[in-house]
Amino acid sequence: MEAMTIGAPMYILEHLYLVLIPMGIALVIALPTGIILTRPGYRHLSRRTMAVLGAGQTIPPLAVIAIFFPFLGLGYGPAVLALTIYALLPIARNTITAISGVPEDIKEAASGMGMTPWQVLKSVELPLSVPGIMTGVKTSAVLTVSTAVLAALVGGKGMGAIIFAGINFFRPELILAGTIYIGTMAIIMERFITMMEWMITPAHLR
Amino acid sequence: MMIELKKVSKTFPGSDRPSVDQVSFRVNQGNICVLLGPSGCGKTTILRMINRLEEPSSGEIIVNGENITGVDPPILRRSIGYVIQQIGLLPHRTIEQNIALVPELLGWSTSRTMKRVRELLEMMGLNPEEVARKYPYQLSGGQMQRVGVARAMAADPPIMLMDEPFGAVDPIVRIRLQDEFLSLQQRLGKTICFVTHDINEAIKMGDYLIIFNQGRLVQMGHPIDVLISPADDFVLSLIGDDRGVKILDLTKSEALMEPAGEIPGDLIESGCVVQSIQPVKAALEVMMKKNSDQVGIFRGDQAIGLLSWDRIKKHVNRVSG
Repeated sequence: MEAMTIGAPMYILEHLYLVLIPMGIALVIALPTGIILTRPGYRHLSRRTMAVLGAGQTIPPLAVIAIFFPFLGLGYGPAVLALTIYALLPIARNTITAISGVPEDIKEAASGMGMTPWQVLKSVELPLSVPGIMTGVKTSAVLTVSTAVLAALVGGKGMGAIIFAGINFFRPELILAGTIYIGTMAIIMERFITMMEWMITPAHLR
Repeated sequence: MMIELKKVSKTFPGSDRPSVDQVSFRVNQGNICVLLGPSGCGKTTILRMINRLEEPSSGEIIVNGENITGVDPPILRRSIGYVIQQIGLLPHRTIEQNIALVPELLGWSTSRTMKRVRELLEMMGLNPEEVARKYPYQLSGGQMQRVGVARAMAADPPIMLMDEPFGAVDPIVRIRLQDEFLSLQQRLGKTICFVTHDINEAIKMGDYLIIFNQGRLVQMGHPIDVLISPADDFVLSLIGDDRGVKILDLTKSEALMEPAGEIPGDLIESGCVVQSIQPVKAALEVMMKKNSDQVGIFRGDQAIGLLSWDRIKKHVNRVSG
């Protein structure tokens, strides 16, 4: 019972950091990269990039941490690094798919009327890609919330600490508590992002 | 002369044949020039080279006296109206905002833009109150096509490029759109390059036809000249077997009639008359409806001649070769 109340807020907060920081970094990297990979000069790179990111996804997070151990040691740093790598793929892939999915005739008409490529991107391609991109962000967020549990194994703390404590000390109520917290966190994040998505979705799709 | 192409060619990368092969032609101010030919003949590519959506592999394109390679493409395109078959309205903007696109790019004031949008909607036969605030998905095919044309005309460009603009609607709506556009063009006198693969649309809409086959320019001329003297078998097959009848559609009754100061009373009584500027085909229809061998020709209220079935028959015979 104590685990549910006293220690919990600190762990929840730590877990939140372990989700928000990698997500933030991932967004800053993956969104622009995804957009660039849909531009005419760079389209041929997109398949290879996706392949690399996809391959990265198959490496277990612990292996990533182990690889960087000599450089970063244990603790927060490597945990955030591993989580960021995992958060990148859904965002990048969905961004590319969504932007590529904007119908050609709409882009053709927009260019043909005299919009510059930048204007076409800003006023046509991006607004119409919002649903697809946000799906990627949601997927990434939910994935990160659960993967962040592993950070506890290398001293990154977070809710993983409670869950692994429960495993190691045979206290199932801790496992249950930890799981409920991260499950709730995932749901809240997803709802929150959906709300933001609704605010920026173009009117014709609502 | 508004648009001129000089020996323009285009070969797409990876292709061994040119899609457009040494094409030269001129489009005069105020004319609708129709680019006609089967799929893959290069007509759409040519159109898209005029507003630099494609760049020629060789040759020059001159618009309004200026070589278009000297003009920044987005700037060029804002002075040329562009209508495509799939229309391509922005789904996330209202009809108003869609039509206002080029004016906004040109920096028009909001009030001037809104006024122009209303004007255009009315010109296209749409009710601004009803339609302006709607989104494209709420409109019918015919309405969307009209909005597409309105959008292209928003900044009142002197030149318009139209690629099968009425292709996405059913034949009944298409005929109406063609008629409405022709009457609009009578008022506005724009210089228009119109692409189609439909010979009937070409004859109806065009002041001048340019026919293409596999990237090459095969024949140029006024519709009736093309019908009377097709350049080769390809053009002949494009026109179709019924070119005699098509010619009737284009020839005015006054061209075939025998002048006469008076017309038999029974013709007038039974209403077996047509106006001199009406096509011979209309005269033929009246003849058949009233079961008569001849039709009286009037100019306004004055009787000026007679057109007989015999003369029409001889004419079709002669031009059908």
